[in-house]
Amino acid sequence: MIKKITKEVMEKKLNQLNVFKIMVRRDLLIQSRDWKEFVFRVGMLPFILILTYGFILPQIGILDIDFPNQMFPGVLGMSLLVTGIHGTAVPLAMDFNNTREIEDRLQAPVNVKIVAWAKMFVGIIESWIGALIVLPISLIFMGSHLNISLDVASGLFLFVVLLLSSITSATLGLLVGTIVKPTQIAAMFPGFLMPLIFTGAIFFNWSALQTIPVIKYLTLINPLVYINEALRFILNSSGETMPLIFSLSGIVIFTLIMGYYGMKRFIKMANR
Amino acid sequence: MKELKSETILEVKNLKKVYIKKNGDPHIAVNEISFELMKGEIFSFLGPNGAGKSTTINMLTAQLTPTSGEILFQGQSLKDNPIFAKSKVGVVAQHNNLDRGLTARENLIYHGQYFGMSQAEAANRADELLESFGLTDWKNDYVKSFSGGMAQRLKIARAIMHQPEILFLDEPTTGLDPAYREVLWQQVLRLNKEFNTTVFLTTHYMEEPERFSDKVAIYNKGVIKAIGTVQELRELVPSQTIISITLDYVTEEIVDEVKKLPNVISLSVKDEKNCIIYAENSKTVLNELLIWIENKHLSLESINLSATTLDDIFIYLTTNDKKNN
Repeated sequence: MIKKITKEVMEKKLNQLNVFKIMVRRDLLIQSRDWKEFVFRVGMLPFILILTYGFILPQIGILDIDFPNQMFPGVLGMSLLVTGIHGTAVPLAMDFNNTREIEDRLQAPVNVKIVAWAKMFVGIIESWIGALIVLPISLIFMGSHLNISLDVASGLFLFVVLLLSSITSATLGLLVGTIVKPTQIAAMFPGFLMPLIFTGAIFFNWSALQTIPVIKYLTLINPLVYINEALRFILNSSGETMPLIFSLSGIVIFTLIMGYYGMKRFIKMANR
Repeated sequence: MKELKSETILEVKNLKKVYIKKNGDPHIAVNEISFELMKGEIFSFLGPNGAGKSTTINMLTAQLTPTSGEILFQGQSLKDNPIFAKSKVGVVAQHNNLDRGLTARENLIYHGQYFGMSQAEAANRADELLESFGLTDWKNDYVKSFSGGMAQRLKIARAIMHQPEILFLDEPTTGLDPAYREVLWQQVLRLNKEFNTTVFLTTHYMEEPERFSDKVAIYNKGVIKAIGTVQELRELVPSQTIISITLDYVTEEIVDEVKKLPNVISLSVKDEKNCIIYAENSKTVLNELLIWIENKHLSLESINLSATTLDDIFIYLTTNDKKNN
């Protein structure tokens, strides 16, 4: 027998923040059920890059033994950005175009932006996990060659940069997820993520590109460049880096642009 | 007892949706339709495939932005206050949009919480609904393992989880066997009766609106051709009895000649083999028609004299070019 919902329940004022939290919890629950796949997806790329460029190549003498110091912030930034993009974009693309599971959340009596914020928040959490996964892998394969210094102030800056970068990754994921179709997800890796990774200054400082100025300035359209330059500056790993104010400005500007267009696309998809 | 239907819950005024095709040409999916629903009413919105029924439902449930027109929920504009409108509606889409990564119970609990219920309130209601829809034994199973019938029952349970004032059912019984269709209808009728829930239904099974609807709209090519009770719509058809004939083929020549037979008022071609004849004196026309078919040496597969059903009204209104409203 279905009972009538009481007046108190029906008239209770809907709290948008509560609904946001419930939507985040739903996403995390579903993600946690596939945690093995998640760890594999997030860990494999940094693992292979660190194993090859941070361990094997320096060990056999093809790369300088100090190379892991250059590379560590780059892999950290790359893992954070790629995981955040993937964590936001792929479920969104599937939800909107394939499973259409998002329709239930879009029917909730809250601003549709809440649904987008919840998706982005989960992307942010995933991007942090993506960054954390790099630490043990780096310590195992490059630990003896890493010369990273971090004091309290730098630690605080590192937190701010990681936070801003994870937001950048989620906004980029929001934009990508509302553009790509599920059939295009396979092409997303070679067509979007690979260029993003390999032009994102993960193996070298951005200033090292001064011998090829065209490439140097072209890479400025890649948000990963600013993230990695900011991380190198804070971790004081090696070489000349972009001034922190420039790299932070780059991260903020990219976040605002991607966030604006991502949200616009999301609202359009929600009301199509 | 069903409450008196006096309160207008939904008003639709000149609602229009125009899509722009890839070649740049406009396609009018919904062309300035207007109607209103009273509280507790069961309203059937009937039209052929591609007529724009789902487009209309999507606009009424804030999933699609209209090109123009106005939608008012209890006097409040959906455009100005979509959150209010969404709090009033429950939607059962044609497709399966359940959360496959969640169990049946979790699907309901999360839905309830999206609408402001606490976890405990949502869990209690979820259990009631799962029992009511015969899904208790599968409450902890993932929805991805559900059959079409089970998923459909869960979709309806989810749509009424927050006790909506208007329940939109977009072809809810498509693909279900007759027994499940009956179960679903019993649930919907109970909601309508006990909670005075307004029901907006689209379906291809004409016997459903004929049995259950308070009001029916016949809709085609973006336009409402007629709206009213089944009895009111029946009066739009030229006769209360019809003759259905099935030949091995129906040509324009046959149609023209049959129309000229005495007492034949109108004729609707259903498809390449079937047509429906509306006549003043059906029994006389039936005899004349049999003689005419024999004289013409046509191959008659079947002929049937029957009272006008909603199916016939639908065919009459959607196959005749003239506007009947």
